[in-house]
Amino acid sequence: MREFDWLEPASVEEASRMLADLGDEVRVIAGGTALMLGMRQRMLAPTHLISVAKIERLRGIGFDAAQGLRIGALARHSDVARSPLVQQHAPVLASMAARVANPQVRNQGTIGGNLCYADPSTDPPGCLMALDAQVVLGSVRGERVLSIEEFLVDYYVTALEPDEIVLEIRVPPLAAGTEGVYSRFLRTAAEHRPLASVALVARREGALCREARIAVGASTPIPTRLRCAETFLEGRSVTPEVAAEVADIVAQDITPVEDLRGSADFRRDMVRAVARRTVAELFGLSIDQGVPA
Amino acid sequence: MSTHRIECTVNGEAHSVEVPARRLLADFLRDDLHLTGTKRGCETGICGACSVLLDGEVVKSCLMLAVQVNGRELTTIEGLAEGDELHPLQKNFMQCGGLQCGYCTPGFIMASCDLLKNNPRPSCDEVRHGLSGNLCRCTGYTQIVESVLHAAEEMNHGD
Repeated sequence: MREFDWLEPASVEEASRMLADLGDEVRVIAGGTALMLGMRQRMLAPTHLISVAKIERLRGIGFDAAQGLRIGALARHSDVARSPLVQQHAPVLASMAARVANPQVRNQGTIGGNLCYADPSTDPPGCLMALDAQVVLGSVRGERVLSIEEFLVDYYVTALEPDEIVLEIRVPPLAAGTEGVYSRFLRTAAEHRPLASVALVARREGALCREARIAVGASTPIPTRLRCAETFLEGRSVTPEVAAEVADIVAQDITPVEDLRGSADFRRDMVRAVARRTVAELFGLSIDQGVPA
Repeated sequence: MSTHRIECTVNGEAHSVEVPARRLLADFLRDDLHLTGTKRGCETGICGACSVLLDGEVVKSCLMLAVQVNGRELTTIEGLAEGDELHPLQKNFMQCGGLQCGYCTPGFIMASCDLLKNNPRPSCDEVRHGLSGNLCRCTGYTQIVESVLHAAEEMNHGD
């Protein structure tokens, strides 16, 4: 790992000024679980690391009925997983966070850091997209709020300006009758980076789907909302056949990445399988009966 | 490159050490504090051999900088035994054959500490999930899981 200077600003403004003043080779560090790997492999060689760990504004998890959940950028995956507020108001988010990577990484890595790194092969971005989450950014110029879709620009690229940091993530309150399921496919049990993930958040009355938000992650450069599949689901009584049809639409509408971990075709097939299971799970269907895989 | 004074408690003992910003926590423990029970394995966050407890929670010390533990409390494998009395996890890893070459063992035991603290009566499956951040290339894991289940039983015995 190359040499660098370590800085610990105590406020958003101080961090923002440092980012503006210190040039292009500056990196923000929260938990550091992803950044350390990049630095040790010398893919990244920052001149300065700006630790945001001492900025109180980035801490805590709260809820209010109007705005929903407020999750400080420094909340670790284990904090999100164990938070009674998250468990109560967005159980799918808690359930996803409990599966991120492994216990060691969950105890160190943060939800804000995860989003800023914009690594597609991780769990949180897709799940947050299906929850319609927003990201609050801050700098000396003030604060602004972006949807996850606006925030995630491309493979490892976000909408953060050079002097901005992520302050918090907001998850709007879910309407009554809304449930969520997050499922994924891991190539091996030991590989913690999902190859395909599907998050579904839907309001339903029994088998009837009133509203749906579906996001595919890990198989596309950034998570993708599947609006055709959502429209197809809405107003429909969901049967195992419908689950299979939605899964086909989802698989058709994505443009999967292709790399050493899986070809585009393989990813598309896995997304189809995961999508079908996800829809079936949310609507309490057994998909082993009636419809061929 | 900046250097920083780190004040932290390791296995109950207070330390104050000047370190360069880029010193990894694993290297700080092994090379500065000479606590070589914590192993450097893959050094890329995969194998878990470098696992230690930070404020009671398991983390990988190869994925952290020493400057990140300023003001905090660490426990390494050296801090588990009480005098000559081994920790129940250490005893049961020995008795159940939860190790062969032993290189991954400190990491497995530290991860098991965290697991049993959060879930004192885990199922076999929960043990496997709780140890999913650690790799062992010798045992095939069966005896490691047995070791943890036996240790849990022993630790719950007083309840």
